[in-house]
Parts: sequence; C-alpha cells; structure tokens
Amino acid sequence: MLRNYLLTAYKVFLRRKLFTAINLACIVLTLVVLMVITALLQTTFWPSGVEGKSGRLLQVYGIRSESPDGRSSRTNLLGYKTIDKYLKPMTGVERVSAFTVPGTVSVYQGDRVSQLDMRRVDADYWKILDFHVLAGRLPDEDDDRLGRRVAVVNASTARRLFPGAAAVGQRISVSGQTFEIIGVVADVMHMNAYADIWTPLTTFPSTDYQKDLTGNFAAMLLARSPSDLPRIRRDVARIATTFVSDDPHTFPTTRFWADSKLDVVARMLLSRQSEADSGATRLLLMTGAGMLLFMLLPALNLVNLNMGRILERSAEIGVRKAFGATSLQLAGQLVVENVLLCLAGGLLGLVCAQLALWWLEASQLIPYLEVGINLPVFGCGMLLALVFGLLSGALPAWKMSRLDPVHALKGAA
Amino acid sequence: MLRHLLQLTWKRKSRNLMLSLEILLAFAIVFGIAAFGLRYWQLYREPIGFDGTDTWSVAMLFSDVPADAIPADTYDLLRRSLLELPEVRAVGFATHAPYTLSTWTTSFKSPQTGAKVDTDTIEVSDDVPAALGMRLEAGRWFDATDEGRAELPAVLNRRMAAALFPGRPALGQRFMSAEAGPPRIYRVVGLVEAFRNKGPFMTPTNFVIARFAPHTSQSRVRTILLKVAPGTPRAFETKLNQRLKAVRNDWSYEIAPLTSMRATLLKEELVPLAVVAVIAAFMLLMVAFGLFGVLWQNTTRRIPEIGLRRALGASAASIYRQIVVEQLLLCSVAMAAALVLLVQLPLTGALGDTLNWPVFAGATLLSMAVIYLLSLACSLYPGWRASRLDPAAALHYE
Repeated sequence: MLRNYLLTAYKVFLRRKLFTAINLACIVLTLVVLMVITALLQTTFWPSGVEGKSGRLLQVYGIRSESPDGRSSRTNLLGYKTIDKYLKPMTGVERVSAFTVPGTVSVYQGDRVSQLDMRRVDADYWKILDFHVLAGRLPDEDDDRLGRRVAVVNASTARRLFPGAAAVGQRISVSGQTFEIIGVVADVMHMNAYADIWTPLTTFPSTDYQKDLTGNFAAMLLARSPSDLPRIRRDVARIATTFVSDDPHTFPTTRFWADSKLDVVARMLLSRQSEADSGATRLLLMTGAGMLLFMLLPALNLVNLNMGRILERSAEIGVRKAFGATSLQLAGQLVVENVLLCLAGGLLGLVCAQLALWWLEASQLIPYLEVGINLPVFGCGMLLALVFGLLSGALPAWKMSRLDPVHALKGAA
Repeated sequence: MLRHLLQLTWKRKSRNLMLSLEILLAFAIVFGIAAFGLRYWQLYREPIGFDGTDTWSVAMLFSDVPADAIPADTYDLLRRSLLELPEVRAVGFATHAPYTLSTWTTSFKSPQTGAKVDTDTIEVSDDVPAALGMRLEAGRWFDATDEGRAELPAVLNRRMAAALFPGRPALGQRFMSAEAGPPRIYRVVGLVEAFRNKGPFMTPTNFVIARFAPHTSQSRVRTILLKVAPGTPRAFETKLNQRLKAVRNDWSYEIAPLTSMRATLLKEELVPLAVVAVIAAFMLLMVAFGLFGVLWQNTTRRIPEIGLRRALGASAASIYRQIVVEQLLLCSVAMAAALVLLVQLPLTGALGDTLNWPVFAGATLLSMAVIYLLSLACSLYPGWRASRLDPAAALHYE
C-alpha cells in the first residue's frame, strides 16, 4: 500500500516539476532557518569539545540579596571570597573553579593597541575544561601559588599580536602589567571558556579581590557523575541560606543557585533569581512555540500550493472514490505525500544548513563560533520536517477527502 | 468593473481565505520590521544632548570598598596629573560613561504638587559638560560656587522639567528626593533639551544631571571623561595608562574613545534587527514563490472562463488587467483586515511610545508598498500567460 503511495507521489512530483521545485524551495528555506537555530542552541547549551563535560557541570553565575520585605534586592556576580569560603570547601564535588567573566583589556605593543577579552582563572579551570593546546603549556598550581605573570592566548589572538612569529615565550603588556605567554589554545566560543587571553587569578594588581563577597566572578562545579547533580544543586541552595552578607541588616536573605547552562540563561532572561526553578522548561516551551509560529507562514503557503494541486487531481480522486476508497484513506495518502516531500526537503535543508553554518563561522559574525550538525540536530531537523509536513498537509487532505465523487469525476470541483 | 471583480473574489472565498491569511501574515511581518526600522530612524534623528568627538572614557576598575577608603584628594590628583599631559584639554568625572548600557534610576518628588516622578540620573563633576560638549538650553551649569550649599544643584532635561513642574517654568524651582533616608533638596539651575546617555537609539526618558563633588558627595564615581586634542591617535592610550598607573597602581583602567564605544553600541543594537530582516526577506521570498504558484494554478483552472471572455470579445489587455486587479483586490482585503488588528496597538498604547502614530503611518505605507509590489510582480507572468491564450483552444481546454 505504502509502496503504491510512494510511487504515485513520485509520479505526481515529476508531472509538475515547477511546482515541486517551488514547494521544495519553500520547505528547504524554512527548515534551514529552523535547523541553524537548533544547531546554535545545541552548541550553546549542550556543547561538545572544550566544555564537553557539560553533563557533569554546574555553574553559579549570580548572587541575589533581598531585604526582609522583599521590596529591594540586588543581583551581582559572585566575589572571590564567596566562592573560596562557601563553595570551595564543598564535599562530594570533584572540582570547584573560580574565574572572572571576560573583561576588555588593552594590550600595548609599541604604538599598537589591541582590545582583547581577558579572564583571570584558577588552576582548576584548566582541569575542568578540555582546552585544545596548540603550543606551550597551561598554567598549573605553582603559577597560581607564586603569582607568576603568565598568560595563555587563543590562536586568533596569537596571530593578531605576533603575525608570523611563535607567540609562546613572548612578553605582552596588558593594561600596564607584563605577562609572559606560556601557551596557545584553539579558539572557543562557549559560555565559560570564551576569552582571548587567560591569566592566573593571583596576578590581580592588588589582593582586594580576596575580600569581596560580590564582584565579577563565577564558579564552575564539576560533579563526579551526572547523577550527583540534583544533590549538588540542593547542597548549594542550602549553603546559600548560611551566607552572611556584608550588610546583614539591610539584606538578610541571600540566594544563589548551581545551574546548568540552560538554567543560567533562563534565569537571566526570565529574571527568576529568587526561585529554585530557573524556568528552563518555560524557556524551552517558548522556543518551541516560537518555532511553530515561525512555521505558520510557510505552512500556509504550502497549504495554498497543495490545494491547487488537489483540484488538478480531482479526476484521479473521483475515480478512487467511485471504486470505494474511504475519505480517510485518501486523506492519509495526501498527508503521506506531503510528509515525504517535507522529509526530502529536510534532507536537502540539512545540507544547506551545514553550508549556512560554514558561512556563519567564516563570517565571524559571532567570534570563534564552531558549530556543526550532529546526530541530535539531525534528529531535530527531521522531526521539524515531519511536524511541518503534517501541519501543512492536514488541511488540504481534509478538503480533498470531502470532494463529491460525482463532481470530482467530471473534474469540476 | 470593480464590483464584478469583488463578486468573483467572493464566489471563491474558501480558497481565497487561505491566500488572504497568508498575505495577512506576510503583511504583519513586514509591518513589524518596518515599524522597528522607522522607530530607530526617528530616534536617530533626535538630539542626544552631547557631542562625543575627541572625548575618551576611562573606567576605573576597583573592588567594592566603602567611600571613605578612597580619599577625595585622589580625584584632584587624577585631574591635575592628567591635565599635565599636552593632549588633554578637560578632565571630568561621572558615575557612568555615555554609550554604555548603564542606567541609574531614582525618583524625586516636587514639594508643590507632591507628585513622585521616576527618572534616570547621572552624577557628573563640574568639568564634564565641557569634556562631553553638552549643550545647555537655559540657566547655567553647576560650578565651584555651588560647593557647600544646602540645596544641591541639578540640571534637568526638558521632559523631566515638564513632568516635575507641569505648566510652570522649572528654572530656580526646588524639588526633593523621594528615596528612603534623609531627604535631599535640589534646586534647578539649568535645563538641557535632551540627554540620552545610551546613544542615538535610546528612548527619551526623564533625566536629572546631578553634581558630583569629591569633597561633599557621598558616592565614589568610577569613570573619567577626557576631552583630548582633535586628531589624538589611539596610541595615546599607552601614555594615558602609564600616567593613571602612576596615580593609583592598584587599580586597572579600561580606556576607550567615545567614538569607538558608540560604534560598538550601534552595531550591537542594529545586528538583531539585521538578522530578523534577513530571515523576513527569506520568508517574503517564500511568499512570493507561493503566490506565484497559486496564481499560476488559478489561471490554469480558469482557462475555460478566460476563453469564454475572449470569445465574447474581451481584449488580451483586459484579461491581463482582470488577473492583476483581482490579485491586488485580494491583497487590499487581507491588508485591511491586518490593519484593523494592528491599529489596536497604538490605540491601546500596548507598546507605549515605541509605536507612535507617525511610525505606525510610515510602517503601514512602507509595508503596503512592499506587499503590493510583491503581488504585482507575482501576478504579471500568470496574467500575461492567460492573456496570450488562443480563444478557440481555451474554450476546448479540458
């Protein structure tokens, strides 16, 4: 039965090459946009590579203090003291890393000034994240303890600062401090890994940062296994209740959460700093709804094209109805045809999406972006194609199944 | 003629419904983008209240310390030390630099009316107006003569003056802070037309410019604004950094000319619009494909009807006109329906000042033009094809 459907579909598609091409073009355009978005979301929230351990990773990106009546509150990034005093001593965690968010610094080389994004990180940072070292080495505990002025740069920055020369061993002046470059790593655009230049925490010009409860730090917690995550989340939430702020009178309650990447973004976008639930499910639902809404116009477009096609085939439908085919069978046939076309469009769309992603990487619109189509994205793409096919096939199929066989036989619908 | 065409369109209403729904959606998308684009353009043409050329900003990065940990003399020392450099013309201090996304919101109340007004605010030192090239509309800037007075001097933008003192001249009036703690009394010493610190795409807000004086103010500001000689190269940054390090070695400094900060901010604000516009362009392309396909099929199905008209003496041109006008008619109906829905936005004020009437009118005209052009382009070829039919062959078409 299905074989017959496929054969008919193939013949119908070939009969009207122009319309098949227009249909396919519409499907491919829609699916390319959706698949590029899916691929970008996947690399943001579930990356592979440098932050490949994301499944065992939790991060603390904000600390919120509230007044007793809850009316006034402040949300900051963490300070080093908070991480050192409350998070580092945690048990049941493989590693805890403290690092700053990227800040712009100027690198002076004679008359040249380059603006770079710099992070100061501790030695654990390099052990949690799997950086791909291209040359030299990464900082270790000794560099941290002795406060050595060493720096790691990424490949693009190394090329930019020292064109045509090896960067390792060179000295650079960053905002008035001199650093020796000891390592070059591959470019990366992930939430915790992104930066142009990394230096040890202990190279801060003064030790004031060790006294700050809020500042510009974030923390990463690496669990021993993914099943430990719920326990660690609970532990961190409990630790937050023991937190004593520097102004306990005005801000007696403090909250911070250990979050996955999706949670961090959801918390920020939906401003849910005071609840344990970050609203990640809501964010995902909103993204899904947005995608469906985006599909609405192309689906309507396809509905219109399909309606035309059915009426052309009214003679065929009339014959099949006269010989006893039920409405349901006919509707099923058209939906199958449409889904088939959408799946073909989906495959073509995957190829085009890969091209679009290559272009996006090459254009450097988002710096250091490295994104590819992998199995989950492929699955999502095919699912999207299926949904799209059903969405745009249902209405014409229903309409077709209602054709009156007598009129349909005459070809006058 | 038009009535007849309307009748024809109505007779095929169920088919046309889906087509008009598609046009309606396409129109709404174009409208959205046109409205955003026009609003940006409208904002871009309004004054921002300062001139940032040859102004540099230095962010002083130091950790959270109580105000008394930074002696007031540090600011004097920084100022004198920087003015010694031959390139520097003026040195001022501010809570935050223009072209950053910082906002400091507070509220004031007027003693006469008791009305509480929320406003953006910034604290700047006496030299900032000169360093930023701010233009005054009336009154004066604050200066050393304001030092130690009970009433704090403040400069208001026109919007804030109207909100705080409706219907009365604001200059010389007094108003109070509405924040918790001991009330501070301010006196309006000057008025500016506008001040939009976040650059040309910032929605105008109420604005109060308050005076920062290191010796009397509670706060410790973290931004230096410098007016430098025209044509100072970027490499001056090295020298500036050395000089700043000589004053406070334990702080770090983030130096940038306002022109480059402006370019970065504009790019950040325009890129999302550009991405959405590109996606919308793809969608329009798709709609064009779809319309073309549907019209082609429609004319094919109506070949007997067209043949009959030709046989009864209709010219090729009138057939052509019929196909094109029918399509434009359908577009007009769909767009009218869309406009009925969209007009609710400015009527209810759901989007506030973002979608004001001029923007709404402009966006409507622009998107109507786009959709009409699109339908015209899509109906030209099917129409031409229909008008070329041989009446005899068309009558026999099966």
